[in-house]
Amino acid sequence: DLSRRGWLRAAGRFERAGACVSDENTDRAMELIHAALRALVLALLSSLCDGKDSELNYVTCGSLVKLLNTRHNVRLHSHDVKYGSGSGQQSVTGVENADDANSYWQIRGRPNRPCQRGTAIKCGQAIRITHMKTGRNLHTHHFSSPLSNNQEVSAFGENGEGDDLDVWTVQCDGVHWERDEAVRFKHVGTDVYLSVTGEQYGHPIRGQREVHGMTSSNQHNWWRSMEGVYIQPSQELLRHDEL
Amino acid sequence: MAAGGMNLRQVCQVCCLLLYLVSAALAGRDFYKILGVSKSASIRDIKKAYRKLALQLHPDRNQDDPKAQDKFADLGAAYEVLSDEEKRKQYDAYGEDGLKEGHHGSHNDIFSSFFGDFGFMFGGNRQQQDRNIPRGNDIVLDLEVTLEEVYSGNFVEVVRNKPVAKEAPGKRKCNCRQEMRTTQLGPGRFQMTQEMVCDECPNVKLVNEERTLEVEIEQGVRDEMEYPFIGEGEPHIDGEPGDLRFRIKVLKHPVFERRGDDLYTNITISLVEALVGFEMDIVHLDGHKVHVVRDKITKPGARMWKKGEGLPNFDNINIRGSLIITFDVEFPQTQLDEQQKDGIRGLLKQGSVQKIYNGLQGY
Repeated sequence: DLSRRGWLRAAGRFERAGACVSDENTDRAMELIHAALRALVLALLSSLCDGKDSELNYVTCGSLVKLLNTRHNVRLHSHDVKYGSGSGQQSVTGVENADDANSYWQIRGRPNRPCQRGTAIKCGQAIRITHMKTGRNLHTHHFSSPLSNNQEVSAFGENGEGDDLDVWTVQCDGVHWERDEAVRFKHVGTDVYLSVTGEQYGHPIRGQREVHGMTSSNQHNWWRSMEGVYIQPSQELLRHDEL
Repeated sequence: MAAGGMNLRQVCQVCCLLLYLVSAALAGRDFYKILGVSKSASIRDIKKAYRKLALQLHPDRNQDDPKAQDKFADLGAAYEVLSDEEKRKQYDAYGEDGLKEGHHGSHNDIFSSFFGDFGFMFGGNRQQQDRNIPRGNDIVLDLEVTLEEVYSGNFVEVVRNKPVAKEAPGKRKCNCRQEMRTTQLGPGRFQMTQEMVCDECPNVKLVNEERTLEVEIEQGVRDEMEYPFIGEGEPHIDGEPGDLRFRIKVLKHPVFERRGDDLYTNITISLVEALVGFEMDIVHLDGHKVHVVRDKITKPGARMWKKGEGLPNFDNINIRGSLIITFDVEFPQTQLDEQQKDGIRGLLKQGSVQKIYNGLQGY
């Protein structure tokens, strides 16, 4: 099945396989093979492409997603429960079950810089991650997290508007944030990574994991987009230039 | 001789008729006619036509019509062919019989990509029917739309990846509840304890499935209006899935301001243009030009009404609001020298006014 997705995955796997073999001579050979493969893939992709750009594999602006922490297998989650310490703002946790609507977050642009609906999010792009049910933005600040003494991550704002500490950059290899790959979220302002290290809460949110910001990038800060509603780009209508 | 000629003509006519009937029968269905669109219709027009007709022709809505199933099937086939570039080309060239493959997707798939899995439950009477069946959570997605889309309409394709309850081997506990149990400790001595009691149900696991949904941004749509997709929300292991609703959020536009069905815009003109008149075009939301002409003096704050140049009304797109243009005047930047001042006094022949009054009146 020559789907675009299939080819991207194959190319990715090949590259990763190539990276494992790190020997001088084979390195050079690998580079040549990489280049050839890339050219082949590009040629095939351009022949498979129809007029409209398919963004089926990317996370796009305006999409609603669930984010899974790949190390601890929990989904980013929030609810109308406030922290009992720290800032006292709405808490953000990690949950195990996959069928809770409180785990949906909407990917949006920076404050006053909306992203165009349906366009793929670029690696390195600054975004806001807004909790669908409560309209509060993923947020972090200089408060300690209750269980592990890392940096507290909360949900802040009203109707999607909070402040400058709501902005995160998506860190990934490649050009765009792909649905199949794990990415990191680095906070703009305090430079911490969104992470889970496994500490669990007790009553009334028994079993939910603590989500916090930590300064080092490691295996605990990988996240992958899972269930969701992924918006595709629409056909261009005549638009006036934005001011 | 005459009789022979008449017979020949009659034979020709019958032949032609037969040929026409045969070719009509062989050519298959007229998909453009079924959808009610022209041969040059865009994919958006086709989607819009399908969505409107699907609601009208659904068999559940037409239970008295014996032909409802056929009409509905025709509609599905028409959409399946005309919405696919390749198939449409083949159909345009060779007719229905020229289509190389048979029809693939069931009409249900097409229908549910516009309305959701349970889209056939019309009228929003879901609550009444399902009072006892537990429902999964609803999902509400704020969909940002531009004023251009509100004017011309558009379709947004969306990929829904959702967990679906599937049968799994074994059993699971369900309907768990607390019950009081009485145990006998000895003659005449009893103990009451609370116990968790569960039923056994077929085991269920959640599997992620993906499908494409088509959300229509209808012309004239208003802020906060919702487009529901029944059954596309979160699943419930013991019941039915919730709904997915797209809530429209109309974005601010740099040129036009919306008020109901009317559009407001401002134009700055020069002092010269305000005094001597001018002619210009405004580019509207769909690219067409609105011609503006003045040959009289235009005061600052003057308004011009252009009927029919506003937004289409959501309930009746043949009715349009108006475009209201407010003019403001930009005065020259450079100061005038004495000669120019005299010239102006002479040209305008307007005496000194200098009327002093309270312009604020409490505001």
